Formats: sequence, structure tokens, C-alpha cells
Amino acid sequence: MLEILIPQIVSGLVVGSLYVLIAIGLSIIFGLLGIVNFAHGSFFTLGAYFALTLYQLFGWPAVILSPIFVGIVGMVVERTLIQKLYDKEPLISLIVTFALALLIEASVRLIYGGIGQPFSPPPFLSGFLIWGPILIAQYRLAMLAATTVLLLLLWLFLEKTPFGRILRAGSRDPEMVGLLGINLPRVLTWVFGLGCAISGIAGVMAAPLWVVTPSMATNAIMPAFVVVAIGGLGSFAGAVIAGLMVGVVIALTIQFYPSASGAVMYVFMAVMLILRPRGLLGERWERFE
Amino acid sequence: MTSGTSGLLIPRRKALLGATALAAAPLAAPHIARAADPIKIGLLLAKTGQIAAQTEYLANGSFLALEERNNMIMGQPAELVWLDEPTPQAATQNMQKLVQENKVSAILGGSLSSNALAEEATAAQLKIPFVCNNAAATDISGKNCNRYTFRLNTPVAVQCRMLAPFALTYGKKWYFITASYAFGQDIVKSGRQLLEEAGGTVVGSDEAPLNTPDFSSFILKIRQAKPDVVWGGLSAGDLSTFLKQWDAMGMRGKIPFLEIAIGDTDIWSVGPEAATGTFTALWWYKNPNNTPEEKKFAESYDKKYGKPAADKAWMGWITARSLFESIDAAKSLEPMKIVEALEAWKAPADGYSYSYRKFDHQMMMKNLAVSVKPQITDKWDYFNVEAALPKDTADLDKVFGTEAEVGCKMG
Repeated sequence: MLEILIPQIVSGLVVGSLYVLIAIGLSIIFGLLGIVNFAHGSFFTLGAYFALTLYQLFGWPAVILSPIFVGIVGMVVERTLIQKLYDKEPLISLIVTFALALLIEASVRLIYGGIGQPFSPPPFLSGFLIWGPILIAQYRLAMLAATTVLLLLLWLFLEKTPFGRILRAGSRDPEMVGLLGINLPRVLTWVFGLGCAISGIAGVMAAPLWVVTPSMATNAIMPAFVVVAIGGLGSFAGAVIAGLMVGVVIALTIQFYPSASGAVMYVFMAVMLILRPRGLLGERWERFE
Repeated sequence: MTSGTSGLLIPRRKALLGATALAAAPLAAPHIARAADPIKIGLLLAKTGQIAAQTEYLANGSFLALEERNNMIMGQPAELVWLDEPTPQAATQNMQKLVQENKVSAILGGSLSSNALAEEATAAQLKIPFVCNNAAATDISGKNCNRYTFRLNTPVAVQCRMLAPFALTYGKKWYFITASYAFGQDIVKSGRQLLEEAGGTVVGSDEAPLNTPDFSSFILKIRQAKPDVVWGGLSAGDLSTFLKQWDAMGMRGKIPFLEIAIGDTDIWSVGPEAATGTFTALWWYKNPNNTPEEKKFAESYDKKYGKPAADKAWMGWITARSLFESIDAAKSLEPMKIVEALEAWKAPADGYSYSYRKFDHQMMMKNLAVSVKPQITDKWDYFNVEAALPKDTADLDKVFGTEAEVGCKMG
């Protein structure tokens, strides 16, 4: 039995790490800006398409620029659209960002066409490794390592740097941060850009695994919402734990009851929310209650 | 001077009467007024989602078929009205909208089996000719058939019969990985039956939800089961994702992969490094046996869109052509007359004619067995054509099944 379970758990952790990355951006944006960003998956798509274009034009090293471009697009969107939603009902932001998601998908379809774009892992990461019962593609292993490093750096940035402290303070009491002379609107622009850039990184990583299509956001946005809901809105650690759990739960469901693998994360979310409505590590936030 | 009228002058009363008669002419002869309106044909195809990669080609092919006729049907201007089919329920709502608001005379569409099954029932209810241009579920022209629905794609059960001999050359231990909706379930049902008849064993069968982004856990299961061949039943983008991950996990070339009804866009999305498998296909732009009309279509498509005509483009083109030519032949927009003309429609194929069979409205056509080339040098040219099936045209009726086997009762 272990020979069956271990490879599935490893596979689930790898897929879960990608979900974590998608969800972290969403969680940061919600936690600090209070915006339910339904267009988050679209920035994931943009990450994949920018990577594809950069690869075709300049080769693999240029792909690293993709999340930066996504971040810039995110900042422009925040300045022109999202900023107007901060004092509005959450439902308004949901509708506006949903419309934005449709607009981005339609734009990508117009520019690149509806057909999926082939995009393979870099040659130095192609191939696979076998350790006993475990079979893992080298690219997935590299993705797991890169995600781990990235999450660590992000945590250090949010917890240990002055900018991170401003972000966390701003999420709790924006007025107080403003009174301290900090330009909060500018900070929020950077935060939105950062969240989008992280989603873009996930898109870059997913591009060689999935098929790069205009509708690939659909496969990213729902797991991201589920992970954020399970982990607790705005909780960094909660998103990490929840993402990995969702990945493993899906992998084990595929092993034992594959046709339910699409629905299992929603069942898991429902159970978790019944047991703990704030999510695993969600705290009580005055701003949202 | 006289106050009479010359031969050229018209008395005022007569002039008024004439003007009134001219003004009233459209009311007295509505058919003349309608003749000036464009004939509208509905196009019911998904605009978003994974299947949109295919529907773009289906639509392009249909529009090209109309352009080839200078946008005229029955000598009148004609246009295609394209609405979305995001879900079966929304598809039927849009079908009603096409008929009741857009006043279309017939509908082309049905990109997914789940949608097409709902749409064909609505077509019967609305009494509107419906030509299904993509969906392959057996029941569409089987037990769910109706007088108003015509279907191009070869039913799943028939394609399975065509592909099974290829699968059996690899061995008798099969593993099914299929989509968890009508198309995939149909494949498992037909495949199991064929394998049992051949004395083989199903060593595994998994249903993957639509839009599954990661197949690694499924692939691990397949690896554990050690089948002789994997029989796929995944659609559109899901198949592309699976094949990419199949290659990344080192399975390409280790266990043969077969699937029916490959779409060119599915394999183009995989990329030359990861593509693999043997498939059935309705049409391939590089098939040397394509008819002169099909070759001309492929050239026009390439010229207009800057890329080769995918099989889906041909499917959009041939179904639209069949409908437009049938309306011409019917010389009427009356639904039943269009239906009768579609039943009589024929077009040249390679040594036989494409036609819809009268008792089930199923397009009778050979399928191609294609396999991915060992080395792909052109980013569009992936396939070697292994055979046209059935080899003998006389076997078409037998392969597609008799009236009793198909189970279609139009009433």
C-alpha cells in the first residue's frame, strides 16, 4: 500500500506547491487591500503568455522577466481601476474584477488565438527521476525547490523588512499608517503589483506543465480561492498548509475515486469551513467583520 | 387651350392610387420584402473554455463556406449569427434565442457531446434543422436521434470499432483514461465490449473531470497497472495536457497511447517534443487523397488565416456546405423541406460520396487512422496517415451499424 500512497503524496505536494503560489498572491491582495480579486487567475495566464513570448524572442533566460511585466500590468490596473474600489462594497470589486478577467482572456485570445501554445520545459530540466516507488519529472522537482525558496524569501520580506512591516500595519489599520506620514496609496499599488507578479510566477512555472491557453486561468483561480478559504483569508502560513493539503487530497482521491477528484477540494473546503469558519489559521480581523 | 390630359400625363387620382399601391406593395406581397432580407443561419459554438480552441476553427470553416458562395444562399444575401454554448442549459437557451429572436432558418453547432445532446432535443422541439458539426456521442444519431438533427462526426462506438484492431496489435491489457462526461463514458463502454470480444482484460479505467490541470497522479496509476496500451478518451485541451505530462514523466514510447477523434489543435498544442499516439481523425489537410474541392478549401483557408486548415475547420466547412447546398436545393426556408434536402445531399469524397444516412441522419464517411511521426520537422505536420477506414467503401454501412444496431427511431 505504501508503494501506492508515497508516490501519490509526493505528486500531490508538487501540485499543491503550485496552488500555494497562486493562492499566496490572492491572499496578500485580499489581506492588505480587502479586494476579492477574481482576475487573479488572469495574471497567472499573462505570466504564462509573457514567458512564452519572451522565450520565443530571446530564449530561456528572458523568461525571468515575465513576472516583472505581470507586476507592472498589475500596478497599472491598480492605479486605473482597483483604487476606485477600496471604499466600495466587496460585491462591486468581485464584479469589476470578474469583468477584468473576461477582458484579459478575450484580449489574450485576440492576440494569440484560441489554440493552445506548445511550451516544453527547458532542456536541462527535461527527464525524470525514479527513487523506489517515486517517479517525478525533473521539472516538477525544480518547481518544488523554486517555490520553497520563493515562499521563504517572501516570508522574510513580509516579516523582517520595514516595507513588510508597513504592509502588515496597513492591512490592519490603514488610517494609522497614513497618519504616520506613509504614502499608503503608493504602498497599495506596490502590494497589488506584488500579488500579481507572484501569480505571474505561478503562470511561468505552470506553462511547461499545462497547455498555455487563454482559458488556463479557470484551472488556477478556483483552487486559489479554495486554498485561501481553507487556509484563512490573508494568512500566509495558512495558504501554504492549505495548498499542500489540497494537492495531497486531490492526488489521493485520484488514486481511490478518480471521478471525484474535481469536486473533492470543494468538499474539503466545506468540511473545513464547518469545523473552523475562519479557516485553518485565519484570525479575527476588525476590518472585515 | 384644352384642359384635357395628354398620353404622358397621369391624372391626379390615378397617381395617388399608384403611390398608395406602391407603398402597400410590401404588405400585399411579404415574400418580396423578405427576399431582400438576409437569410440567417445560426452558429451555436462555445466561445470560451478549453473547447474554444476547436470552435474557432469550426467557425472559421463555416464562415469560409459562406464566403465561397459570395455570402449568398438561394441567390439571396446570407449571414451566420454566432451565439455561445457555455453549458447545455445555456446552449438550449441560446438556441431558442437564435430561432425566436434572430429568426434563423437552420443551426450549425454542438461542439461538446453534452451540449449537442441537449441541443438536438431542442431542435426537435423548435422544429429547426440542426447540423451537429463536432460532437461524437453515439446517442446523438442513436437512441436520441430526431428528424431535424443531422450529425457529421463518426459516433464513438464506430470510431472505437475502427481503432480497436490497432490497439490489439499492442496487446490485450488495456487501460482507459477518459473524460467524465458522455464522450468519455461512451468510449469506455464501447472499448470494454470490443476488448471482451477479443478476450482481453481491462487493467484500469479512470474518469478524469473536465479541465483537469494535472494528470500526474493518473499517470502514476497507469504506470503501476502496467498495461499493454492506454486508450484515451480525453477531449480538447485535456488531451494536450495529458500528453505533455505523459512525456514529462517518461512514459512516451514506453506504453502506446491511442485515442479516437483527435483534433489537430489538440496535437498542435502538445508540441513536437511530447506528441505521441495513434488516433482516428476525420480529415487531415495533408492527406494526398483529399478531393480537389477539399484541397482548394485547404489552400483558401491557409491564404485567409495564415495557418493550415485543422480538421475542425474542415468539419465546419463541410457541414455548412451541406446545409447551404441543401437550402439551395430545397428552394425554400421551410424546415421540413431543408430536412428532406439534407437527406438527399451528396458531395464527392475519395472514391465515394459524403452523405447523411436517411434512417439516422449520420454522415457516412471513412475515418483516417493517423499516427504521430517519429520526427516532427514542421510545427503543423504531425501525422502519418496509416489507413482510411473501413478500407472497402462497401463496408461503410456495416461499420456504422444497421438500423437495429443503431437504435434510432425517428417516428
